[in-house]
Amino acid sequence: MSESTESPRPPRVRVTAPRPGEALDLPGGDDERGPAATASRAPADAERLLVRSLMRSQLRVAIVSALGFVLALAAIGVLAALPALQSTLIAGVPAGWLVLGFAAFPPLVAVAGIATLAANRTEAQYRELTGADDSERGIP
Amino acid sequence: MTAASASVVATAIDPAIGYTAIALVTLATALIGFFAVRLSRTTSDFYVASRTVRPWWNASAIGGEYLSAASVLGIAGLILFEGAYGLWFPIGYAAGYLMLLLLVAAPLRRSGAYTLPDFTGARLASRRVRGLTTALVIIIGWFYIVPQLQGAALAMTIATGLPPWTGAAAVALIVGLIVAAGGMRSITYVQAFQFWLKLTAVAVPAIAMLLVVSGRDLDAAAAEAFPAALGPLAADPLAVTSLVLALLLGTLGLPHVLIRFTTNPDGAAARRTTLIVIVLLALFYVFPVIIGLLGRVHAADLAQPGTADGLALVLPGRLIEGPVGDVLTALVVAGAFGAFLSTSSGLVVALAGVISQQVAGGTVRGFRLAALGSTLVPLAVVLLIAPAGLAGSVGLVFAFTASTLSPLLVLAVWWRGLTARGAVAGMLTGALACALALALGLLLGPAGVADAQLPSTVVSLLTQPALLTVPLAVTATVVVSRWGGQRPPAGVDRMLARLHVPEPR
Repeated sequence: MSESTESPRPPRVRVTAPRPGEALDLPGGDDERGPAATASRAPADAERLLVRSLMRSQLRVAIVSALGFVLALAAIGVLAALPALQSTLIAGVPAGWLVLGFAAFPPLVAVAGIATLAANRTEAQYRELTGADDSERGIP
Repeated sequence: MTAASASVVATAIDPAIGYTAIALVTLATALIGFFAVRLSRTTSDFYVASRTVRPWWNASAIGGEYLSAASVLGIAGLILFEGAYGLWFPIGYAAGYLMLLLLVAAPLRRSGAYTLPDFTGARLASRRVRGLTTALVIIIGWFYIVPQLQGAALAMTIATGLPPWTGAAAVALIVGLIVAAGGMRSITYVQAFQFWLKLTAVAVPAIAMLLVVSGRDLDAAAAEAFPAALGPLAADPLAVTSLVLALLLGTLGLPHVLIRFTTNPDGAAARRTTLIVIVLLALFYVFPVIIGLLGRVHAADLAQPGTADGLALVLPGRLIEGPVGDVLTALVVAGAFGAFLSTSSGLVVALAGVISQQVAGGTVRGFRLAALGSTLVPLAVVLLIAPAGLAGSVGLVFAFTASTLSPLLVLAVWWRGLTARGAVAGMLTGALACALALALGLLLGPAGVADAQLPSTVVSLLTQPALLTVPLAVTATVVVSRWGGQRPPAGVDRMLARLHVPEPR
């Protein structure tokens, strides 16, 4: 969509249903993508390389973030299982149960926030590289 | 649930409160739904609300749709029944959205497809992939609606004393009518309302109960209420890993979750929406955990298979006497009913979209007929089979999804070398392996443990098989794509560019 997402309400768009068996006309032929994507053009090699490097960067963001969260989760699991935390009571509940019940949510929100920022930044860099800031969608 | 255990729980609540709460939440849902019908004019309103839904609304709606019977009732029940193992469920339910954010949110929105089969069929240019995805979406949707209706049956019995089938039938009827009438557009507003209703319905009673018990000496009961045998150390690490894997990956293949992302204006908005959902879920899940922990201290008698899921409904009335307790009980009943209504209607919208596109050419009339069909089949199942624990049965659906649609989606978004044959092989392998493991687990599990014939590790993996079946499905997909004698579809580079290249500013 060509207009800013901060406008009061995005305009309603009509979405057409593909028929089963008919190849969905996705690459470049969709109606709500704006004029840049409607004309289907042969992909230039340079742009294809750019897209691949964009994908690699985004995949790296995803994998690093996922690993970070899984490590935090493993640490919480180990911490909660420490015998010392089973005997320490907080408001009548063993500390290990409280750690397992509540401690995973702050790292979850933190990783999600960082990953969103990182993914947006990767896209901003791609826009700079392709000069797609104004109207041209960087699609080959 | 046996009749005896149902009546034990049922006597805890005044039926008048139950009727009032259910009537109010149904009325509110219907009013919002039917009001929004007047705004539904076109086919795309029905399918994706014409993509006019903004991130906060959309995030509330996703939260409202996602928080099912398993979240509102099941988690507290599981913590009461199984101890610290149950604490892993809310973590997995919430963190599934992190995987969705990281792996598929923006690319799926950019694909322009608005059902899962549209996406996989177009990405691989294959009718067979499309057809198989459709079949899996329908199976997953039906099995996910079943526990919702079972929860409705349980809540109806607890709240009013009526026989269980009335709750299931009432929810199925309301959902079928609302979806058939209003489609996605009305449902978005209903769902957003439902999230805040559900948050209130767990948060207010949980905080009130904490205030009531805060003056008491709790340490004396701790050894009995939180035994080490059910503590964090006691859970089998392999079973926990398998469960967490299923919950993390399962979310991104759920049909009613994915369809919501297509209602975002662009890829960045899809990501922002997911981030808001994670914040909302992290906030929500604090409260079922509190209710579950309180239940271990104050309602140990409910820790049985048939009654544990009723904990969140019964506990406020036990801890807080008089009119305040009544109001809190009514609030939880309303929230629970909201959960059944919203998750079921979200699933029915997703299923009706998929079915009507496959067989009826995507017309509004086809959508309405498919909506009624998607409601009636699970209702028939509920009326025929005995219910299991809510969070547990939903956990199995996550394992199945994580073994079939999730690996396909992730590979379709990130791997250029994926072929249609590989996708079909992966889906079939994951589905068959997962179904086989679950069936064996059900048949052999309890007896095998009792006779010590099977090691407990084997039983853990059969009853929660994601740790085996997810790698199996991924391997099958990759091997057949690589060496199956088929090349990636011709337009793959342009398709991947479309998924990943940001929209113009």
